[in-house]
Amino acid sequence: MSKLIKNLFPQFLCFMIAPVGFVNAELTSLSDNDLSEVDGAGIGLVMDDFVFSHGNDTANDKTFKISGLTNSNGDAVTVNVNQLYIARSGSNYGTNLEGVNLGRLDNPYEIDILDGDSIGLTGEAVLQISTSKKVDLADGYDCLDVSAVQGSGECSSRPANTVWDNAGTPEVWQNGERPDMGLELELQDGINTSNLNFNASSAVFDGSYVRLWGDETEVNNGKMAAEFRLNFYTPELEISTCSQSNQACGSSIKMQDFEMELALGNTFQPMYLGVDNITGGLTMEISAITHEYIDNIVGGVSDGSAAGNTAQAFFEDYYQNEDYRSNIVIGDLDISGTNLGSSKIEGMLIQYVDVKFRDLAL
Amino acid sequence: MKIQFQLAIALLFITSFSSAEMSKINDQELSEVTGQSGVYLTGEISINEEGGTLDDGYFGDCADANLVCGARLGFQTQENGGWFVLDNIKGSISFEGLTFQTREITSGFGGDGALFNQTVLEIGMPENIRMNDFQFTLATACSDRPTENCAGPGPGPGGVVDSKFKQVDFMTVEMSGEMTLEGNLLVFPTP
Repeated sequence: MSKLIKNLFPQFLCFMIAPVGFVNAELTSLSDNDLSEVDGAGIGLVMDDFVFSHGNDTANDKTFKISGLTNSNGDAVTVNVNQLYIARSGSNYGTNLEGVNLGRLDNPYEIDILDGDSIGLTGEAVLQISTSKKVDLADGYDCLDVSAVQGSGECSSRPANTVWDNAGTPEVWQNGERPDMGLELELQDGINTSNLNFNASSAVFDGSYVRLWGDETEVNNGKMAAEFRLNFYTPELEISTCSQSNQACGSSIKMQDFEMELALGNTFQPMYLGVDNITGGLTMEISAITHEYIDNIVGGVSDGSAAGNTAQAFFEDYYQNEDYRSNIVIGDLDISGTNLGSSKIEGMLIQYVDVKFRDLAL
Repeated sequence: MKIQFQLAIALLFITSFSSAEMSKINDQELSEVTGQSGVYLTGEISINEEGGTLDDGYFGDCADANLVCGARLGFQTQENGGWFVLDNIKGSISFEGLTFQTREITSGFGGDGALFNQTVLEIGMPENIRMNDFQFTLATACSDRPTENCAGPGPGPGGVVDSKFKQVDFMTVEMSGEMTLEGNLLVFPTP
């Protein structure tokens, strides 16, 4: 216990330990630059044997609903959440709830402070919250295959019932690290009731992260900057209008071998999430890409000066960097029994975003 | 905010008859302390079930349908910007069997345990967790307090908007009844 506490204390309690008595030096706040020098260990998080489920069920005295929404006539629409669940793969739309692990001991979910200098954010301290990281092909598992074996892909999370070698004896790891997840909604609009369900089986989020830092440049006025990377892989994502008692009905869109790698914001174009201080509306911005020598780019190429060459090299790297691009791949798309084959959106680069929410009453 | 917290912890007070001087425990001595049996918590957290202490025309008693009686949390992501808000938080959460203890992991986890071979902090999810009329509203607002004005008048949809307080409510989530929440959260330092 003591070793663990000794190791965790620096992260949890480092600024709570006050030096007592002997020093009277005045405390000064740490700047971003000071913080960026900190190279502290992170905190690893693993959920072991995890199950979550809750849903609206009046017969069993359970309520789970979302209100405050209106239809186009301004009438209230109530959304009953019939079930929200996270459980082991093979749950059969959340009816068989068994424990699943989220994260691995040698590759956990992690909360960490990064040195911005090492990720292109000079002088910044960056808070990163991440899932398990992707690994080398030799060590990883195929991200979609529910029977994946070691050496078949780059995902660290293993499917349920993975067989592993215990000193020559094969053993089965039942939990796996790929949960089934589902959200089953019942929309009540006046006398009309309809269902909308989202179910994903054996879901993998490896390689996802969110990075947050403060942008103190004059133009951005202390905004919180963010970089999101959401990886989501599932052998089957199903969106249906089935009733809760018949989740496997034919009224559905089934996306088999669904892969999404969504990149929102990057080092040069962070995403700013904020609220307008005049209208109270949510704002989301990603600034257009630029460079200090952009004026030395003429007709899409360098004007021949050193500054122009620097700018051209920057933009070439920007447009070729796969990490800044988003991909959505659907291996097989089936709409209510009609097969439409595979669909792909690959290499999508989000260049500019300026979204402002507003209250319709304004 | 009214918080009732009943902890089922056996608190052991040791009174000492000796008058020996206290001395620091060094790292070596600390490393020899073995894990204890942990803590088992049972409790109920109640937030503004009847209303809060404010009565200012926006907040007030829950019996008055025109007033917001729940608690309000706001946070800002830009200096002098608007606010993200969790508004009208009220209801209660009761739980039994939330545990805190250390756990030495040397096996299991599909072969990862033997390689890991460390001690972790284990937070055990409660055996029973129940919400009673728990609700909150997700919103954004131009200022932190509903009694304060916005930064306007200024540009808005359809022209210039006034400086009156504005809040955009996205949704209200209401939860009641027994919830299924099982498992253990393992916390440990990473290199």
